[in-house]
Amino acid sequence: MSLTRFVVPLLLAGCLCSAQQTHLPATTVAPPLHTVATTVVATPLQASVVCSGAFVTHRLDFTTGTRLREIGTYISNGAGVAANDLDNDGDLDLVFASVDGEGEILWNEGNLQFTSAPLDDRFARGVAIVDANADGWNDIVFTHRGLEGVTYWRNLGGAPRPTFARTPLPGVDHYAYAMAWGDVDGDGDLDLVTGSYGAELKQHGIDAPEDDPQAGVVLHLQGDDAWTAQTLDPHAETLSIAILDVTNDSQPEIWAANDFALDDRLWQRDGDVWHQIHPFAQTSYSTMTTEWGDIANDGRRALFTTDMNPYDISPRNLAAWMPVLNQLVPHNRADDVQVMANVLLIGDGRGGWQNQATARGVDATGWSWDARFGDLDQDGYLDLYIVNGMIAADLFGHLPNGELVEENQAYRNRGNGSFDRMPQWQLGATASGRGMIMADIDNDGDLDIVINNLRGFAQLYENQLCSGANLQVDLTWSGSQNIHAIGAQLALHTDKGILRRDVRASGGYLSGDPVRVHFGIPAEARLDRLEIEWPDGKVSLVDAPPRNNLLTVTR
Amino acid sequence: MTHQTLATPHAIDIQSAIPLLRLLNPKQHTRIMLASLAVGLLVSYLAVAMGWLPLWGATALTLIVLLPAGVLKWRDDHRRYGATLMGLSILVTAQGLHTVEHLVQWAQYHLLYLTMRQSNGLLSPANAEWVHFTWNWLVLIAVVALMVGGMRGGWMWLLFAVAFFHTIEHSYTFIRYQMILRELTAMDVLNVTAQGLPGIVGRDGWLARSELTRGTWICTIPGLTTAVRLDVHFWWNAIEMTLLVIAGHFYLRKQFGKTA
Repeated sequence: MSLTRFVVPLLLAGCLCSAQQTHLPATTVAPPLHTVATTVVATPLQASVVCSGAFVTHRLDFTTGTRLREIGTYISNGAGVAANDLDNDGDLDLVFASVDGEGEILWNEGNLQFTSAPLDDRFARGVAIVDANADGWNDIVFTHRGLEGVTYWRNLGGAPRPTFARTPLPGVDHYAYAMAWGDVDGDGDLDLVTGSYGAELKQHGIDAPEDDPQAGVVLHLQGDDAWTAQTLDPHAETLSIAILDVTNDSQPEIWAANDFALDDRLWQRDGDVWHQIHPFAQTSYSTMTTEWGDIANDGRRALFTTDMNPYDISPRNLAAWMPVLNQLVPHNRADDVQVMANVLLIGDGRGGWQNQATARGVDATGWSWDARFGDLDQDGYLDLYIVNGMIAADLFGHLPNGELVEENQAYRNRGNGSFDRMPQWQLGATASGRGMIMADIDNDGDLDIVINNLRGFAQLYENQLCSGANLQVDLTWSGSQNIHAIGAQLALHTDKGILRRDVRASGGYLSGDPVRVHFGIPAEARLDRLEIEWPDGKVSLVDAPPRNNLLTVTR
Repeated sequence: MTHQTLATPHAIDIQSAIPLLRLLNPKQHTRIMLASLAVGLLVSYLAVAMGWLPLWGATALTLIVLLPAGVLKWRDDHRRYGATLMGLSILVTAQGLHTVEHLVQWAQYHLLYLTMRQSNGLLSPANAEWVHFTWNWLVLIAVVALMVGGMRGGWMWLLFAVAFFHTIEHSYTFIRYQMILRELTAMDVLNVTAQGLPGIVGRDGWLARSELTRGTWICTIPGLTTAVRLDVHFWWNAIEMTLLVIAGHFYLRKQFGKTA
């Protein structure tokens, strides 16, 4: 049902809060019952004055994997990075997880300057920045290597820098390699889904992880005083978890991506019961990450997963892969839908999903880890960036330093959901990337990229393409336990089409997305309205949102 | 003798309806053919059971045991029908056996659910690249020889085109196989095979990766850039075999009718 049929101009109220901020005009028409009033504050974003037509690399003061003499499986899987505003100053700060040391916060001082602050959380995998307790301060959550679960660092606030206290989450004590945050049961607060990585648990002496009650894919539902855990699947080789509505039933499903031969799982909620569904015609074999977006601006969501598949089929590169490829040959079974390649699933409108990765040119991107859709060139269409590479002396001992060196792959959306490689964007770094996020780090309106590299410095790629325009949106749901409205769906109506995004706190491979939503807009496009569907189904509307602004929408 | 044989009234109706069967009929060599087959299978089975030979060795042994009977039969074909039809007889027989190889691979993968590397057929485990590279060049040469010998027509030209591109595909994979082996040797990796990699068409092949074709409409053609190598070559072979049979049928009908 189209929301636009019911949504009328929204009551916008408020006052001018600063010289730089603008309050959009209020209307006097009472909204229908399912619409909600919001306050909208627009803050102009100053476009970059340096336009090289490419991305410019900045080295960040963080490394992981450099303290080890040799990297083997599964240290090789590296760690993630998260971006969000930790000190409520409007800048997105960065938090890095480390597989061999302590984590680190990079406080964003503006102008791409950062101040490092170590966080005593060691041997981590994933990281997310999420306001789990809805106190208005974003907290930090890590997952870990081996036999550890999540650690929760509660943001205590304070100026000029908040402090953090490691705080237990009562009832959350399962092994956790991957995690995802979202309101999966629709009760208004944020829940947590964790997944363990069986292969690594075996390295730590657990011969049959599926028999260990602390292993598996586990749903942790947040209650008033404690969390209740429900194991969705005792079998888990989980590298990535996503919470999103795959079935278009207006309820989120839980999607767990598994390494090796273990199938990816998708669970749908029926009351209090979660049951597996199998709508995907194909999935990646060793699925490293999950990502999604409306890549053709046609209202159909595309789901993307990465795998190990060489993009360079020159004899030299294939020879580098061959000793490992021969070990990785997938098994074969009657009902197997796995293929050792990236998979781009497009809904067929009848509940099924077909793989179009090859047809759209993104089926092979090397030993791929994180992947993100984002409108890097701000033409209104989601582009794609994938980080890759592998370091493992026990797998690639025939290569110098045990490292398979590959170039990260950047793809530009042709405007129809198919992709062209974009080496001219200069995003083809050869560092061994693992976790990655896209966010506007320098507040110039476009998307920058931050990567947590294994055995190397983290990198920030400053977007200097200087094309198109943008609109960014921060949602605040006052009085809610989901204060940043994670799971909200946004649709920006323009005369060039409808652009759709959603609010996330975690995503991709071991990484944490900012809750700030970015729309790239063709320079000549007219912005008609922004529709916000909040996680509870209520709708807000912002008429004629101004381009090149950050809208702070408060419900 | 030749004219007499061709003019002989058809003993079996099906052979007149399908002249290829008449050509392939071992006739007076049936017994020795069956005996050779029985001996070949028995010896091969024992060789495999006793662990003396791998499966591909036993398959090769069976073919070697069958070869004398085949030579007798083909020499007889030459005497009865001439060189071109003898060539057709050899090609159809050999390509038929090659089809069996691909059928076995297909069954191993799709029915027995062996892995891709295990689905090697009967003879290919020897070295899939050498076997198929050599085989497809021989087929192409045989097709050209048949055309030179007078067996032409639309179906034959179509067969030539398919055989040509199939040979190009195997030449591509064979050359890359050699190049990858050289790279592996340079890395001092000597115990790794580089067989079975994709070719021009099929999943992860040149068409799927080339900047000229990647993500274009070509990659939307079902199977062209998504089928696994085993299926790609099953279909290459099935199409070739079908075209050979059709071309042979029409040519033989004309030849046998001419001499009837």
